[in-house]
Amino acid sequence: MNAASVASLFLVGVSLFGVAADASAQSPWRLGVALGHGVRTNPLIQSDDIPIALDLDIAWFGERFYFDNFDAGFTVIDNDAMTVNAVGRINSDRVFFGKTDTRLVTIGAAIGQATNFAVGAPLAQPTELTVPDRDYAVELGIEMLADGRWGQLQLAAHQDASGTHDGYEVFLDYGYGWRRQRWSVEPSLGFAYKSDELNDYYWGVRPDEASAALPEYQAGSGVNPHLKLAASYQLTRHWAVAVSAEYERLSTEAAASPIVADRDVVGYFAGAHYRF
Amino acid sequence: MRAFAALLLTAVPTVVLAQSAESAATVDLKVKPVLCIVDARTPECDIAFLVLWRSDRSGGYCLFNDFVPAPLRCWSEERAGELSEQRVVRDEFRYWITGSDTATELAVVTVEVLRLDDGDRRRNRRTRHVWDLL
Repeated sequence: MNAASVASLFLVGVSLFGVAADASAQSPWRLGVALGHGVRTNPLIQSDDIPIALDLDIAWFGERFYFDNFDAGFTVIDNDAMTVNAVGRINSDRVFFGKTDTRLVTIGAAIGQATNFAVGAPLAQPTELTVPDRDYAVELGIEMLADGRWGQLQLAAHQDASGTHDGYEVFLDYGYGWRRQRWSVEPSLGFAYKSDELNDYYWGVRPDEASAALPEYQAGSGVNPHLKLAASYQLTRHWAVAVSAEYERLSTEAAASPIVADRDVVGYFAGAHYRF
Repeated sequence: MRAFAALLLTAVPTVVLAQSAESAATVDLKVKPVLCIVDARTPECDIAFLVLWRSDRSGGYCLFNDFVPAPLRCWSEERAGELSEQRVVRDEFRYWITGSDTATELAVVTVEVLRLDDGDRRRNRRTRHVWDLL
């Protein structure tokens, strides 16, 4: 059973328990569901964009332990100035690799095709091109959270603990929210630094995966900047309409991979949100 | 004489009906807005409330809320009215309207206060991943 299966089972279990649980204001549970329409583009070659029709918000916060949408953590420090948590999570890079297919191609993939307009070489005969498969990674790390009238800051560092990519990521995000009664707008921005090992595992092409249509490639470390804008209008105590738009730019090292067709990852969603 | 008796018989129930109807006037009370949203950064709402009422008959009516024991305003021989007031709100409260008997509430509207953040600051501080929607 891989990490995704374990995560799915955990989600189902938590969902079932969550339905039975009292989700009132004093409850340690936070349960929400958003239904609507959205898309997240897929930067990989021979891939489909990822449709978004449903987003679940499932969280449970105990005195020290918590579960927050696939992040499981233990609070080490929590005071007016900051919160420090030890966190376990599932890496998100794997999500792109579930929406790829195999095709017969007459022009091979090229290193740098998404960054410097490189074009692959014509092939002598149609050749099967498959995007390599990648696994989910379970990562352990530590995060520091702080907020105030100036906004919210999240700084986190995670290291692979599952032997999947053996790399690490450092993540920084700053957000500032405005609320005017029923309206809420929250822009945020930040970046994720991904190590050599992490980037190479997901975006590299290993010798045994390379072919005439897919050159070998070794990805180095890099920084992915991101932007997000979320807005909502509270209709009632439970219902809100919510829209969000996200943008992430792959690092040069990841974007130069022959399995990457588009360096920019864009997503949007618009729908109704129910908070239990 | 028979005709008079018949007239009396039809008149008496009419009076009784009118009396019972007066004791149960139907009043429609509306308050805008009925939801106040607060969070850590905005712990209270400073809102102009508009209160509108309409009854199915003219009479004396008084409007109350939970903040003061005295009526906010009374009307006599009216079947509709409105009031606007500025309030700073932190907790749920009610507006209600009575007839001349101020102990009987004819219509009640509750203004709800919704806390969108959480008492647990860890939850408020955790921003979700850039690709999470909510």
